[in-house]
Amino acid sequence: MSLNKKILPPKTSRWRTTAVFFIAVIIGLGLFMARESKIYSYMSDSPQACVNCHVMTPVYNSWMHSSHREWANCNDCHVPHDNVFNKYYFKAKDGLYHASVFTARAEPDVIKTKEASQEVVQNNCIRCHVQQVTQVKYDGWIEGHKENRTGRQCWSCHKNVPHGTVRGLTTIKYNIAPIPTDPEGLVIPAWMDKQIRDD
Amino acid sequence: MKNKVLFIVTIIVVFLLGLLASSIVNRKSEAKYKYVPQVNIAENEPRNEVWGENFPLEYQSSLQTLDTSFASMQGGSATRDVLEEDPRLVILFAGYGFSKDYNQGRGHAYAIEDVHNTLRTGAPTSKEDGPMPATCWTCKGPDVPRLMNEKGIAEFYGGTWAETVSEVVNPIGCADCHDPKSMKLRISRPALVEAFDAMGKDINQATHNEMRSLVCAQCHVEYYFDKKLPGKEGVPYLKFPWKNGMTVENMEDYYDNLEFSDWTHKLSKAPMLKAQHPGYETFKTGVHADRGVSCADCHMPYKSEGGQKFTDHHIQSPLNNTSNACQVCHREESSKLIANVYERQRKATENRLKLEDLLVKAHLEAKKCWDLGATEEQMKPILTDIRHGQWRWDYSAAAHGASFHAPVETARVIGSGLVIAQEARVKLARLLADLGHNKPIEMPDISTKEKAQKYIGLDVEKLQADKEEFKRTLLPKWLDEAKAREAKMPINAVSSTKK
Repeated sequence: MSLNKKILPPKTSRWRTTAVFFIAVIIGLGLFMARESKIYSYMSDSPQACVNCHVMTPVYNSWMHSSHREWANCNDCHVPHDNVFNKYYFKAKDGLYHASVFTARAEPDVIKTKEASQEVVQNNCIRCHVQQVTQVKYDGWIEGHKENRTGRQCWSCHKNVPHGTVRGLTTIKYNIAPIPTDPEGLVIPAWMDKQIRDD
Repeated sequence: MKNKVLFIVTIIVVFLLGLLASSIVNRKSEAKYKYVPQVNIAENEPRNEVWGENFPLEYQSSLQTLDTSFASMQGGSATRDVLEEDPRLVILFAGYGFSKDYNQGRGHAYAIEDVHNTLRTGAPTSKEDGPMPATCWTCKGPDVPRLMNEKGIAEFYGGTWAETVSEVVNPIGCADCHDPKSMKLRISRPALVEAFDAMGKDINQATHNEMRSLVCAQCHVEYYFDKKLPGKEGVPYLKFPWKNGMTVENMEDYYDNLEFSDWTHKLSKAPMLKAQHPGYETFKTGVHADRGVSCADCHMPYKSEGGQKFTDHHIQSPLNNTSNACQVCHREESSKLIANVYERQRKATENRLKLEDLLVKAHLEAKKCWDLGATEEQMKPILTDIRHGQWRWDYSAAAHGASFHAPVETARVIGSGLVIAQEARVKLARLLADLGHNKPIEMPDISTKEKAQKYIGLDVEKLQADKEEFKRTLLPKWLDEAKAREAKMPINAVSSTKK
């Protein structure tokens, strides 16, 4: 009630109707934008959420054709997984930054990760591939293995994983985020299906 | 006063939120219109240039199938007269169209033109005339699914080749393989679907990788015309003989049970089978298929142009494009990879030529037996052996790439063909002896294509003259009809891009 009194003019004031109207407009616009920007999808781990921004299509396309498609989605690599609060904090921080740049139309043709994101990705690479990375026997027969392992980023060598060699907006001409390759449905035209089944 | 400040702040907030909402909507529209199609592609749109408006990279690379400069050891896109290179084939195909004219296929862009040119389609004098049914057009271009949709599948097959000349004018292209809305791969020929049904499989379960071979398997397969389908008697209905499986023996059993023959041999009177081009069947028995490689991986590899990666629609021999086709997986020198392919082809050819020799002699000896008064009963097992021996020869030869796609299977098939052909000749020698001819028969001179064709009684000069007359008179008239028909077909340009 006290909040109401602070925000809304008194009932006797001629401003009250106008104020109520504008507050309603604010709420309406907010809901509209939430729906249009699909803000709810960012709470999920679905990679489709990232393609809400069409500049992410080449990144999505290359991931979809990579070996990581079956095992990891965007958040598995690009969001920290040490604890749930840090996950959503980082997600919100990164997301708001991306959204701000996108809204300002300041996105680059080739998107590069910042240092904080690089650290997150590196840790996630190790989190999943820890067995390969920390094989003790490698220390025994690969010279300098420990230094190579701990002194470099994974993608110093694994340069194509998973977003390919050529990156940037110019790598796609049609900006079509691909349809999943094995959907239910016909691989023949409907008219042919009808004719063949009718026989 | 406080209310006034709140009011102004509220107005500013609403305005800024409005700007943000507008920005979101604009950005979403931008995503939608970043790809602006020039035309809306209709279902069964047969004109490749219309699809090319939206997909210029793919269309322009497909036009490169016009290039006929590449010739490999036994393939490539250059024209080759197979009968001239090997006149024995004239004897092997005596009584059939392939003894008149047998050229290696050029690129897809020539599909229509080469059908007009070949002597096998004859020189019809009217739309109801000519030796070939409309079924022959099935794999020549995207007009075929259009016609099947308009007329019905069996009704299309039931027409004449000549009446379809003015209907099928676009060479093999986009609508043969792609869905016009999603651009996903799609099967456009019912024979493949029906063949899967006959095998008890549902083609709609195919994965994307399988589809990258199955779109080729619509046409690069063995097939025959079944004129005895219930409810469609007399219609040369296109079918694949896969009911019992895809191997050379499975298909042979299938044909034998049907008592089917493509033609009766003019010399030996054997009921013959023509292996059309079992490319898909032979490929499936090879190591590349076993490793999950699809036809498109080698014959339509990925290409990068201006930073954009796309499937190269210049369908050709991978030997002309080893860097993109072979070296993606095989880190070897190009010359070594080519040498590896040629080795397999050369070794398969050695035995294939021996089998040809045996078969030619078998046909000629069988003819001698008939001349000496042999009976049907005496000849039947011999003719069956000739049929089976030549079926195995043709299975290996007509698939063209079989000796590389499946060298082990090809060697096996030719090996069993040699045995069968030799068995036929042993029987023939005994029969000749019984008929009083106890010495080798005299072999005619078939050292050139002309001599061989003369020997089997073909008047090739007349056939060629008739064809030239046809191409000079009727063909242009029918093609003009096609031009007039296509001029009436709409092009659904997208309104935002109308000129």
